[in-house]
This record gives sequence, C-alpha cells and structure tokens, in this order.
Amino acid sequence: MATATKTRFEYEDIKPKIGSRILNDKQSLLSGEFASEIRDLLEARGVLVFPKIDFTEDEQVAFTKTLGKFAPEGDDEGVTKITLDVKENPQSAEYLKGSLYWHIDGTRNEVPILASLLSCKVPSPKGTGNTGFSNTYAAYEDLPDDKKAEIDDLHVMHAPWASLFYYSPEPALAMLKGMQAIGEKELPLVWEHKSGRKSLVLGCTSHHVIGVDHTKSAELIHGLREWATSPQFTYSHAWEIGDLVIWDNTGTMHRAEAYDPTCGRMMLRTKLEGEEPWADVN
Amino acid sequence: MPVIEKTRLRSEQIKPKIGSRILNSKAELLSGDLSDEINDLLEKSGVLIFPEVHFNDDEQMQFTNLLGGLAKEIRGEQIFKVSLDKSVNQKVAEYLKGSLYWHIDGTMNTVPIRASMLSAKVLSPEGGDTDFANTATSYEDLPTETKDKIADLRVVHSLWRSQFYHTPEPSMEQIEDWQSKGEAELPLVCTHKSGRKSMVLGNTAHYVTGVDPKKSYRILHGLREFATSEPYSYRHKWSVGDTVIWDNRTSLHRATPYDPDCGRMMHRTILQGTEAWEN
Repeated sequence: MATATKTRFEYEDIKPKIGSRILNDKQSLLSGEFASEIRDLLEARGVLVFPKIDFTEDEQVAFTKTLGKFAPEGDDEGVTKITLDVKENPQSAEYLKGSLYWHIDGTRNEVPILASLLSCKVPSPKGTGNTGFSNTYAAYEDLPDDKKAEIDDLHVMHAPWASLFYYSPEPALAMLKGMQAIGEKELPLVWEHKSGRKSLVLGCTSHHVIGVDHTKSAELIHGLREWATSPQFTYSHAWEIGDLVIWDNTGTMHRAEAYDPTCGRMMLRTKLEGEEPWADVN
Repeated sequence: MPVIEKTRLRSEQIKPKIGSRILNSKAELLSGDLSDEINDLLEKSGVLIFPEVHFNDDEQMQFTNLLGGLAKEIRGEQIFKVSLDKSVNQKVAEYLKGSLYWHIDGTMNTVPIRASMLSAKVLSPEGGDTDFANTATSYEDLPTETKDKIADLRVVHSLWRSQFYHTPEPSMEQIEDWQSKGEAELPLVCTHKSGRKSMVLGNTAHYVTGVDPKKSYRILHGLREFATSEPYSYRHKWSVGDTVIWDNRTSLHRATPYDPDCGRMMHRTILQGTEAWEN
C-alpha cells in the first residue's frame, strides 16, 4: 500500500528580526499547499526569499495567485519588467532616483498593496543593486514603552512631493506643482493592524507630523526611520539569477541600492492586492 | 607742469541684470582711489569679477579693507580656505556640501556680511564653477501682483533644513548637531537702507510662516527658480588668480559639483555687515 507523505514546509531565518528563506521546491510552492504558511510567515518575518527558485513568468504569476488576489499593473495580467534600460523605460533615471530612499508603496491609496514579488532575471554587478528591507513591525515592537506612548496617536502627512526633495532638492516650480497634484494623505504614524499588531508608517513620502513643530517633526520622522533601518531590523538582498523575494508592504520599508542604469539589470514584479486599509486617522 | 591723472574705473557689463568685469591693474585697485566706485558698482551689479588679478593673501586682505573692512572669518582667521578636503577643514567640509545649492550666507545672523571675496588658487579639473543670482534685479522684475502677495511674508531659515539638500536621510546625531545651530525668522523681502529691495531665499529658507506647507514650498521654490533664471544669473568659470566679489545681501550663490578630493582651493575674505536684515 502506498503511503502519501505530505511535504513539509521548510524554511530558515535570515536574521532574528527580519527575513526567512523558503527551501521547498518549485512544484510544492506552485501547488498552493503552503499558501497559508507562507502568508503567516510573510507577516511574521517581513521578507521571504526563495533562493534560485527559477520561476518562469507564468509560474511567477501562478504562484502569486496562490497567495491572494493578483494585482494587475497597467492593462497587463502578467509580470511587470523592472529595468532602467532607457530603451525599455525612458523614465528610468527618475524612477531610480526615487527608489533609492526608504519607502512604503501606496501611501496615497486607501488600501496599500499587501505585497510585492520580485524575481531576478539579470543581476547588476556584485555589490550593487541589492534591495534593502526594514521590518517596521519589529522596529515598533522594540521601541521603549515611553517612546511608544509618545508616538502612538501621532499622524503624518504623506506626499509624493515630499520625496521629490530627496533627489531633486531644487525642483522647478512646474515639477513641484505636478508632484503636488498627485495628492497627499494623512496616515497614522503607528498603524494598528486588524491583527492587533502595530507597525511604523515612515519613509520618504513622510512630510510632517501633524500638530508638532518642524524641529520635532524632523526628529520624529528621521529618528524613527534611523531606528527602523538600523542593522537588527534590516536585510539587504544580494540578487542571484532566479531568486524570488516577497515582502509584506504593510510591515516593511524597502529601497533599491545604487547600480549602473546601463548594466542590464532585469527584474520581474508581480503584486498582491491590499486587503486592509490604512488605519483610520480619526 | 605735472598733471595728476586720477585713476579711472575701467569696467564692462556681463549681463544687464547681473555682473561686471573690472579691468584695472592690481596697483590701481590697491591704491584705494577706486574703492567708492567699486562699492557702487558692486551694489548695482551684484557680482564683480577681477580677471586674473593674482592677489596674494596680504593683497586680498588689503583690498578687502579698502572696500570696507575685513571681518573675522570662522575661528578668527582672516583668510578662510574654502575646500571640501577633510584634511583642510575637517568638520566644515561636511557643511560646505550645502554650498552646492543656492544660498545666502548669514541668514541666521542678525547682521549678515555685506560681501564675500573669493580668489582661485587651485582649480578643480571638472565642475567647481561658481553661480550667482541677483535677488534685487529679479525682485524688481516681478509682476506687481506677486510683489503685493509676498510683501509681508516671513520665512524661517535654518542651517538644518539646508543640510537635507545633500543628506536627505540623516542620523539623529546629524540632526541634533545641525539643529543646535538655531534658526531665524526673516522677511521674505528685505528693504535696504537705500530703499532697494531684494529677496531672502536659498537652501536655508525652510518655510513661510502661517502658510500651508504645499503653498510654502511653491512660493519659496518658485521665487528661487525665477531669481536664478538666465537673465538674473551668472556662472563664473574660474581661472587661477581670478578674484570675485559678490554683494551677499542681494545674491544667491552656489558652487557646481566637483570632486571633493581634487584639491580645489579658494581663499575667502569677507566684508563686515553694515545693515541688519530688518531694521
């Protein structure tokens, strides 16, 4: 009599406060049998790495769909190419500049995306083009109680135009007006998720803390960003061909590390629809 | 019968709204005979260029004194060595990164310096030009309705805001250091004793008081963009031995990027302030 043995979910932690590597094979991942384990681990660890899993484009889309609702980008149901090659993407230089600073995606949407999945087709030269991640749940949880009490009820104005000043501190008025037209949104500095867990909402879209003076506001936004991006809460992924990484956009910040735009680096991205709106600011 | 010829100022205009070149010899400049005319032209042009005049440090100090006195530089030196090389200036090299963006010196002092004088000793192989923009002639050319709108606005200036231009993700240690230098509130439009008006802008200009942040940034960056536009700005490409003076109260200035380790060296003296930002 044949015995059906269920495959075990296998992973190892990268650092105590952030990141795990998933060690199961492609077939078992695509079967969806570990979807709920992967979702739980993603929320717990912030970033999951699937080393050299070598998904095809179709497999990446299929895998994404096992984890939640696939979020199409543009008109396409497939993967999105992330490259700075000007032949593929004429806006590439601008795109790179903005992505080099710590940020959370979707700070101007009602419901931010749940997660992004990025796979590496062509890496940049070693030592360049890593992707950095910061665990904003773990960073909040490790704050001293008096700091938590100080910041728990604060709100921050987030605006794409604030991030403009990171890479273009002397913008032309037309550029500034264009970025300001995209809008801005007030978000809680501390996001209490439906699960009851709390994370910090920070990054280069943070313009100012509401109701405190400019000096204090800068201290809060940058002091907490420095804390959340300190070594114990961060992981910098050095890409190998075939790697896939998922990060929980609701509990991490991320950034690209600099690389030569002409080096041919090519990544494929898919996204999972958000499932939870930003906590109400009122 | 001997005829005593008074030395005459020989100058040429660079642009109608900014800049003049002064063509007199070093000896004529150091005679003191031209000082009043030079001061008048400085106020009118904003920036004066003395091409390859080759002042040594003593001569630069002497010339500075002839125009209205030498202020003590940071740490009491009379000649300040402007260099991004850490071995020359240590901590100051960090702050000088802010000089790559449009700014006015002394926005956090009650009485700003009147003018700065810079002499080129060692050039950078690439970049390292100095840009100037005239905030008096650009103000004069603003539409009347803009002048009316900005007439009474006040702006908070701080060194710490200017440091975010080059270090947008600072550490708390940096922020605390920068913020310890204080801040100052100044009128956006400064009226000089002469009645002339100019705008106080640049990378230390953080926000317009009592205006929402979006509008505040549009005002400050829109006016900076206008003041630094082509008619009101001049880029000086240095030759060794050039000396340049600019009227600090009516000029924004900046260096264009260059390799901090290339050895570029400028010697600066400053002319004491004679007027507070506001009276």
